[in-house]
Amino acid sequence: MKQPLRLTVNGQPTEALVSPGTSLLTFLRETCGLTGPKRGCEEGECGCCAVLLDGKLVDSCLIFALEAEGAEVLTVEGLRGDAAGRPDHLAPVQQAFAEAGASQCGFCMPGMLLATASLLERNPAPGDDEIRRAISGNLCRCTGYTPIVKAIRLAAALKRQG
Amino acid sequence: MHDVTYHAPTSLAEALRLLGNDPAHTRPLAGGTDLHLQMERGGNAWRHVVDLKRIAELAGIARNPDGGYTIGALTLAAEVESHVDLAADYPALAQGAACIGGPPIRNRATLGGNVCNASPAADSSPPLLALGARAVVAGAEGTRELPLADLWRGPRQTTLAPGELLTALRLPPPPVRGGSAFTRLTRSAMDIALVNAAAQVALDAQGHIAQAALALGAVAPVVLLVPQAAEAVRGRAWSAELAAEVARLASAAAQPIDDIRASADYRREMAGVLAARAMAQAVERARAAGGVATAGTSGAAGKSDKAGATGKATARQRPGRRGAP
Ligand code: FES
Ligand code: FES
Repeated sequence: MKQPLRLTVNGQPTEALVSPGTSLLTFLRETCGLTGPKRGCEEGECGCCAVLLDGKLVDSCLIFALEAEGAEVLTVEGLRGDAAGRPDHLAPVQQAFAEAGASQCGFCMPGMLLATASLLERNPAPGDDEIRRAISGNLCRCTGYTPIVKAIRLAAALKRQG
Repeated sequence: MHDVTYHAPTSLAEALRLLGNDPAHTRPLAGGTDLHLQMERGGNAWRHVVDLKRIAELAGIARNPDGGYTIGALTLAAEVESHVDLAADYPALAQGAACIGGPPIRNRATLGGNVCNASPAADSSPPLLALGARAVVAGAEGTRELPLADLWRGPRQTTLAPGELLTALRLPPPPVRGGSAFTRLTRSAMDIALVNAAAQVALDAQGHIAQAALALGAVAPVVLLVPQAAEAVRGRAWSAELAAEVARLASAAAQPIDDIRASADYRREMAGVLAARAMAQAVERARAAGGVATAGTSGAAGKSDKAGATGKATARQRPGRRGAP
């Protein structure tokens, strides 16, 4: 039987009836139409489905949508607006990844961007070691990670400049 | 899956009542990082899922009056890993918690969930066992406390009665001139441990080992204490010979299996190596804590430190097949 769910998704108050077995990932993709979070492994290995749940980086494939009752969810779609507050511009984190050429196929990017956002929230000037640890739950099959680490360094610098 | 009902009680009493209604078909839910996979793979008869995350009394790390700690079962691995006092008093546990999956897993996985999932390879289990943790269990009949080792019956099996819940883990006060360490062997950062080990030691004023504990994971149906090793080191100064003896006793205590990750022989060999490294690093930390001079006796410890005795060092030094860099 479906059960009621109320939460905030990318700042938008959202209400729905969902089956208890529905994952947060499926809810976001199929009910909210947000395809930023990707369905990779569905086992908590790849981090392609990662979102911020009340500010914490989590794998949405390992969470029932109903567990997010009352929570604030941020998907990559909610990462927008530059430092000057212009909503149709890329966020500094996204700008940095674009400038560093850190994306190839792009499948890991939503998770990588949110992992970066959550890292920089906690630590505005991370070292390479901290950067690598922060993305250790996000797999990238294309880049070899070096350009991603570079992008995160750049994102930190851009964010500090404001 | 369609006939499952999700419950989110806000008190322990309510959770116990829900669990007691239909214990055979009711599954408590902590972080869910293991439960989700079990649900997906099917073969279960769960009709009710009771989410414990809204029960405030089950979460958090508290200092006991005696200097020990009570860690709520629903405390996140990420919180255990980053709790400053706990990490200072019990570095083995912080190291173990830091090895559970990647950050998105540790932001969700709980210490109680890791324990109750009863995987012989769980990374928080050898530290908890070596540190002398006790399990606090609540049920309809009230609360009981037992040594952690008595909570595990076999792989993925606990001794909890239907309707009972692990509510907290209790750690004794850290010993004077004490130190602890965790070591782990994997192919990559995100992988399950092939073997893991944790040790705790306390030194006397002369720098001899007054008391020790050693626990091994992934080499038996449940995480094991190795009392023979603890016995062997008591009253002695740490040395290369003693490290070799600890390794031999740990290998002898291991009863590993062959599986997709490693052969039994390899696991048995590595159990010895990791046990000696864990003990060496625990001794090193105990010396640092107690201001005991290391000159002349640091050979064994120094060597194993270079070999990467810290938990995550293995992963960092050997970028794996799938792990991030
Ligand atoms: S899809 Fe969730 S971790 Fe891979
Ligand atoms: S860019 Fe293809 S997976 Fe990362």
